[in-house]
Amino acid sequence: MSKPKARAPSTQITGVYKADSIRDVAESLGITNVPESVASALASDVEYRIHQVVEEASRFMRHARRTTMTTSDIDQAMRVLNIEPLYGHSSYNPPTFRRAPPLPQLPQGGTVYFVEDEEIDFERVIREEKLTLPKPVNWHAHWLAVEGVQPRIPENPPAIPKETDADATVKLENGVISTLLPLTPSSPGRPAAARKPQQQLVKQVLSRELQLYYARLTNSLIPSKPEDFDREKKTAALATLRHDAGLQPLLPYLVQWVGEGVVGALKEGATREEDGRVLEVLLDVTAALLDNQSMLVEPYLHQILPPILSMLLNSTLPPSHAAHLRTSASQILSRILTAHSTTYPSLSPRIMKALLLALISPGKSKGAREGAVRGMTAIGKEAVRKGLVEGGGARIVGSEYGGDERSEPVIAVMDAFRTLQEPSIDPVPFTDSEVLSQLREVLGDFFAFRLQGDAAWARGVLGIPASGQ
Amino acid sequence: MSATPVPAAPSPDTSTSISQDAQPIVDAVDRLVLEYLRNRGYKLPEQGVPNAVDEASPSDKGKAPETAPSQTITSEELIKRLAVFSQRPANPNENAYNNASSVVQDVGGAGTSLNIQNLIANLGSIGAEEILSLDPTDKNEGFRELQAWVDGSLDMYRPEFRPMLFPVFVHFYLDLIQSGFKEAAVKFFSEFSPSLAPAHNNILHHLSTLLLPAHIQNDDMAQRFQNEKYTVRMSRSGFDLLVGWLTEGIGGESMGAGEGFAGEKGKRGRSAVMRVVNNHLKFDVTASNTTSVPPTAWEENTGLLSSLLARANGAPSTATSAQAFNSTQGELKLGPAPVTEEMRAEIERELRQRAVMDGDPNGAQYDIHYLRSQQIPGVMAPSDLDLPPHPPTFKTADVLREAEKIRDWRKKIRLDAAALKELDENSPQLSATRARALPSICCYTIHDVPEGVPCCTFSQDLSLMAAGFAESYIRLWSLTDEGLNGMRSDFQLNKIRDNSSLERVKETGGPRTRKLIGHSGPVYSLSFDPLSGSTSRPRHLLSSSADATVRLWSLDTMTNLVAYRGHQNPVWDVQWSPMGIYFATGSRDRTARLWSTDRANALRIYAGHLSDVDAVRFHPNSLYLATASSDWTVRLWDVQRGNTVRVFIGHQGIVSTLSFSPDGRYLASAGEDHAISLWDLGSGRRIKKMTGHTASIYSLAWSAESSMLVSGGADWTVRCWDVKSAGGLPTKNGMANGTGALKSREEESIETTDLVGTFPTKRTPITNVQFTPRNLCVVAGPYLSPEQR
Repeated sequence: MSKPKARAPSTQITGVYKADSIRDVAESLGITNVPESVASALASDVEYRIHQVVEEASRFMRHARRTTMTTSDIDQAMRVLNIEPLYGHSSYNPPTFRRAPPLPQLPQGGTVYFVEDEEIDFERVIREEKLTLPKPVNWHAHWLAVEGVQPRIPENPPAIPKETDADATVKLENGVISTLLPLTPSSPGRPAAARKPQQQLVKQVLSRELQLYYARLTNSLIPSKPEDFDREKKTAALATLRHDAGLQPLLPYLVQWVGEGVVGALKEGATREEDGRVLEVLLDVTAALLDNQSMLVEPYLHQILPPILSMLLNSTLPPSHAAHLRTSASQILSRILTAHSTTYPSLSPRIMKALLLALISPGKSKGAREGAVRGMTAIGKEAVRKGLVEGGGARIVGSEYGGDERSEPVIAVMDAFRTLQEPSIDPVPFTDSEVLSQLREVLGDFFAFRLQGDAAWARGVLGIPASGQ
Repeated sequence: MSATPVPAAPSPDTSTSISQDAQPIVDAVDRLVLEYLRNRGYKLPEQGVPNAVDEASPSDKGKAPETAPSQTITSEELIKRLAVFSQRPANPNENAYNNASSVVQDVGGAGTSLNIQNLIANLGSIGAEEILSLDPTDKNEGFRELQAWVDGSLDMYRPEFRPMLFPVFVHFYLDLIQSGFKEAAVKFFSEFSPSLAPAHNNILHHLSTLLLPAHIQNDDMAQRFQNEKYTVRMSRSGFDLLVGWLTEGIGGESMGAGEGFAGEKGKRGRSAVMRVVNNHLKFDVTASNTTSVPPTAWEENTGLLSSLLARANGAPSTATSAQAFNSTQGELKLGPAPVTEEMRAEIERELRQRAVMDGDPNGAQYDIHYLRSQQIPGVMAPSDLDLPPHPPTFKTADVLREAEKIRDWRKKIRLDAAALKELDENSPQLSATRARALPSICCYTIHDVPEGVPCCTFSQDLSLMAAGFAESYIRLWSLTDEGLNGMRSDFQLNKIRDNSSLERVKETGGPRTRKLIGHSGPVYSLSFDPLSGSTSRPRHLLSSSADATVRLWSLDTMTNLVAYRGHQNPVWDVQWSPMGIYFATGSRDRTARLWSTDRANALRIYAGHLSDVDAVRFHPNSLYLATASSDWTVRLWDVQRGNTVRVFIGHQGIVSTLSFSPDGRYLASAGEDHAISLWDLGSGRRIKKMTGHTASIYSLAWSAESSMLVSGGADWTVRCWDVKSAGGLPTKNGMANGTGALKSREEESIETTDLVGTFPTKRTPITNVQFTPRNLCVVAGPYLSPEQR
């Protein structure tokens, strides 16, 4: 029980205003060596005065029906306490304090809070910044409850009141339809929405009609229960996709839907009949979207291409649909390239690269090889020559599947050769052994044998001008 | 009925007797000092002086390390020690410092011999007992023991013992600060405040800002604690247990308390508690059984009541509780205001005429029947003489208004909140019943006001909305297609002869919104005049502002007519009387005032609140005025006499809004304690406490049948309450006392069962809730965009 007055170091006293601060202020006023007791007493008093002002200011905050205190509250409080207000702090531009952690070499300095003073480039402000007048105060009325039931309208928060706005806006920004309820993002531009809410809604999110359309469309194309599938409905749905204007807002959702559908079908191995049909529909949808004149597909190409390429190159497709799927996928690919390769010069080289990789890299499946060949055929003569002839694709296919003349890759390769040059109606066998050896070297034994019966065709495939004819 | 614990504080009797027996030779100077001290009423030092001079006297039981007599003692320390003595109850209001320093001066002036020096030095040592009781560890110990005892007591007694902890805590803290032990006080605060924080957060925070003795001298709240007795209600048996514990260290079923209190340390701690109990607590001992009292009842009878119940002239009231005070104030006349015979005839004629126009004779029958039978059983109706003076004749507008009121009553949407009670959650009729019971609520959201809207109000006919802003202006909106027309400025006054020529100089095609500029501070309250009722647009608007003025605006000319000055401080609220002409204001200067529109000075000043008057409301018959204050109370005033007729104590925070039920029997109040209290005006008792809001409540409104209460607040919700049901917390979670319960559980349990509907908004704090006469609920608030934060 020693003297209870034994002064604890002043740092132990809790409080916002430390004795050190008093000493700092005193030094700035030219008073050095303020005694410890004086400093700590003064600090306590300053703290009390601060609290007094804050307590008074909180009354003004409360009566202004706010929950955050502003500088104007402090001003008002000082006014009624007969202190001259601190001028120049407007509540329109609340200062944001930043926190600087204590310096590692000076840990006793403590955390420092400072007001960030942004440097403003005068030139830039004068040149660029347009001053916008703030919107005038306005009101908007809505039903918060009708006979005790809260209507589900954009003005009311969604059913679970806890996580209201943040979630909804985030979902919309990501462009994912996760809920079919329209939610207006909470924007300060609500008064505008009040006068023409419809316009605002369409701009921000899908209108109710479009959502309904979307739900119906996807359901009729791929019903949740396979037995509900109706060919007529599908045809009708595809027809609207092909011809209807005003579906542009739906495009991102449809593209995503196709992508997810393809991934979903292929992930399960894609051996069932059902999957084949789904894939077929999805391809049809893609084709229909490309057909639609009023649709601007270009921004979504990067999302459309991956599902097509996966269908083309995937190893296993349902056997009954495989050939058809690959053929139509390659057709769609060819259409996309013809339409957009001019605006995207890098498009066809990139696709070519992917296809070539599938064609010549070892260990690829039969389906991938076939798809790659078909894809090249779709891109054009140049691609076929490059891939099959110069890249040695034909030689690989020939060596791998040469035993079976009916195997798909072989057929695909022969088709590809035909795009380079039509076989002669009246084939003339080779006489030139030099060309023949070249043919063997480039295409491999198997395809060389297949082509050697038609010298003109073989020359065409090899790109050697038909001399001596 | 009050009592004080019988045993007195332990006094140093032993040492005194020894010293008196010794009877030393005291020289002249010593006698002088002794004489002086005796005159000033300092008994202990008097006993001490001879003791000090007698060197042989044992130094106080050997338990006083502090008593080591030093030759040099700072005057500061002496003052501090003397301050203890001056605090004796003999004259508690005297400033300790002045006395103490004057003593020192006197002593010093009497000649500075070594003897005197010795004497002064030893003065402190004799008060060792006192000094020791000031030892901060004693307070810590004492409070810990008290807390352990209260927590260890029987469940039955715990609710009545617990309120005692808080005043003891406050006094310990103030004593520590007063005697300069700042560090010890801060430590004491940080150790024990968390357990008290849930119920007393506001005061605790305020306490924590007091760090120097000077603050205590200047602080209102600290002064109240020091000068007034803190009332604690206790049952007889509980009180006996407390006395037993304080004196013997036994009693009650507390475990461990006994052993702590057996020792010296425990004894001193106990005596510290006892000192507070003796000097600063008043026990309101009741005969009632503790178990029959609801858990929130203590709120109504605990606190610094004496000044709240003080009479107008400042003399302390004889009443010890709000209950007793209210019962001495006589009966209230809560019935509807009388209607003169001529007026009633006129109204009947008007109703018949309307019925003929509507082709609905039955309706007229109903209306007239209702008009004649406007009596509520069990309530005394005022006579015409009781009303504040009003013009002897009535106008057509009055007749129209009253007739419309009756028609509204018939045509209103009927809200039958009681129907919800019998229904369980899974009933198929749930939605239908809800529709019958709950109102339709239309929300007016005000956009693009980042700094919020301090006030907002609708006219009764829903044709106008007005909002006051922090930038000192008022904005008026027309909610109908009709524009807001003022007067043209290009007319000659002598051309205006009658109503029609006046009409001619009115603007046409005015804008749908207007700004009213005149105040020079934030506008805190607005009120449309009630004269036109729901028949037509109001013609006047009142506004109150931080510039201490109230302004009357004409909605015919859209200009300011009068500025009423009188309040010294910001005027927080203004409200028309139900019959127009008069209005009341409440201000930061702690008064409410009554004004009439034709006079620039206040007619009545209602003084009695100990802090800001935050809200004023007239009783529907305009005989009474209710005021809500930052001193946590609500008062009901007789408008004409100006005296308090009821005090409502029980809120645990600032009361910021009020609402009378339309039938005039109940008053609802709410505020910073997130709870709505429902008061019965006749008896002055609290009927129930309704909780569920999670932030401050800004506005309350009753449905026309007085069966449903709607509240809006800072938690962005509008909530509907069934007034007639019993309320109370759901029984499942009733026992969760907030100590060990999970947070989610706690949140669930704050909603009382009478909360029948919760309607959240999107980030819109609701600043105004109103019912139209036909029971449509309109609410308004500013939208807070998330970017603002």
